[in-house]
Amino acid sequence: MNPDYALLAQALLPEIALVVGALLVLGLDLAIFRRQEPAARYRLVMNFGAMAVTVALIFACSTGFSGPVFGDVLFFDTLALITRQGVLMLTLFTFGIACDARRLRHPAEYVAVILFAATGLILMAAAQQLLLAFLALELASISLYVLAGFDKSRPESAEAALKYFLIGGMAAAFLLFGFSLLYGLTGSLILPQIGMMLMPQGPSPLLLIALVMVLVAFGFKTAAAPFHLWAPDAYQGAPTPSAALIASASKLAGLVFFYRLLWPGLGMSAGDAARLPFTIGWVPVVALLSGASLLLGNIAALAQTNIRRLLAYSAIAHAGAMLLGVIAAGASGPAPLFYYAFTYAIAAIGAFGVIALVENAGRCENLADLAGLHRRSPLLAGCLLVFILSLAGIPPLAGFFGKFVIFAAALKLNGLGGPAGWLAVAAILLSAVALYYYLLILKQALVVRTDGPIRRITVPPAATATLLTAAGLLVLFGLFPSVLLGLFQ
Amino acid sequence: MIHPTLTAYLVVSALLFGLGFFGVLLRKNTLIIYLCLELMLVASMVALVAFSRFNGTLDGDVFVFFVLTIAAAEVAVGLALIVALFRRRHTVQVEELNFLKH
Repeated sequence: MNPDYALLAQALLPEIALVVGALLVLGLDLAIFRRQEPAARYRLVMNFGAMAVTVALIFACSTGFSGPVFGDVLFFDTLALITRQGVLMLTLFTFGIACDARRLRHPAEYVAVILFAATGLILMAAAQQLLLAFLALELASISLYVLAGFDKSRPESAEAALKYFLIGGMAAAFLLFGFSLLYGLTGSLILPQIGMMLMPQGPSPLLLIALVMVLVAFGFKTAAAPFHLWAPDAYQGAPTPSAALIASASKLAGLVFFYRLLWPGLGMSAGDAARLPFTIGWVPVVALLSGASLLLGNIAALAQTNIRRLLAYSAIAHAGAMLLGVIAAGASGPAPLFYYAFTYAIAAIGAFGVIALVENAGRCENLADLAGLHRRSPLLAGCLLVFILSLAGIPPLAGFFGKFVIFAAALKLNGLGGPAGWLAVAAILLSAVALYYYLLILKQALVVRTDGPIRRITVPPAATATLLTAAGLLVLFGLFPSVLLGLFQ
Repeated sequence: MIHPTLTAYLVVSALLFGLGFFGVLLRKNTLIIYLCLELMLVASMVALVAFSRFNGTLDGDVFVFFVLTIAAAEVAVGLALIVALFRRRHTVQVEELNFLKH
């Protein structure tokens, strides 16, 4: 193999921009920014971070490079390229909603770690080789642990980060053990080669153990039940922009990565969940995780009074639908899965953005803290309406069409003749349950009146632009889904 | 001199992994849990090196070098989090980490 470094540098321009941006922001903060007032320093650092992501996004959109890079270590196909643009856009939104200067004593480090996390996430989506995939996954995960525990003034933040870290570290160990078994079985680290070598072998006990190990890590990364326990705590305790990044970009990249690992890599040991009796493989296990997540997420969300925990349980329910998309992706390609995950990520980051801004003006812990939001800030209330209705899957927003394509793909497998079809029907029925708790949020924000004087919320221009863009994208993708789905044809 | 077979290495690796896993599940002290996590990573590395030796390729050995680095980074972040928590709460026991309600 003759590695072509020029080609590698050209293909990885966005990643290079992110890393250079992260190092520059640390250096500039040390040299110049730290002499400024805290508020000015914070603004400078955030603008610098947003600029680095914008440069990376321009590179990602302008270089139409596709194909294998550096041997077969990275592979840029449509999915990898679009995921890269999507993750960068979500990172930009994260900077847009990060407006709470009081809580962060080290803004430059915060920005740098966000940029490192984004680098890990976009490499993860393009990785074709187990070593690079593991490195990218850990770069993203370790950065996210730091981000979750960044707010040292609140004990909740450290506790959330520690729980996230311990469960995440365990999942990484499982994934590594699974990878080592796959390497042992095939003698290769490159996914397509692993797929080819496994073809004639058939299901062996070692392969089954490897599959179980990989699926445990998958369940953790997507916060699927029964590996969801970290999610409500991390969402509740982490600083709001960190929680937004964990809920959106990390989930999108994780799903794309595991789609790659499971279908192109381990597709021959998929088994079948579309008809009974099951054939042994990973698909029936994913179906089980999906069912458990749908049920647990939707039912547990009903009992929540804390708005972030409610969003976390709704995220678990959405993870169930995404796993259904993973099952269906073998037959229908990754387009429905990507559409669902990306539009979900935009809605989630928007909802967290609204929480961050309300928090900036006071408190936003419980549902009751949102009361009277339509009088305090009509803009925030309007945006929250779009985000929550999209999460609930109300037409014409993108959330509705995402559910539609995923369930249609799952039903296409074998109609109602097997568990995949039944899961789709269960998911549709549980959407009605979900509507109830989503409307609880909207009732507080749009209907409930509060006594006493109205404390208006001022929204900074960057945050206004972010929220309006996110809401606009949800309407656009909902009205014209082919804008996104057409990219895959 | 008897050369151990691949199976012997895998059994050791699986035993280490199991020990680490049950340690994570059963122990109450965050530091010990953290040690058990590292044990799980080490178990995977034993398997990787053994496979590398018996497959006749170097990929597994190279993988282990990178994993060692990752494990060191995880140590830094993990211990920092434990210290941050201890400063606020004066405990490292998991059953007392209950600020976030269930």
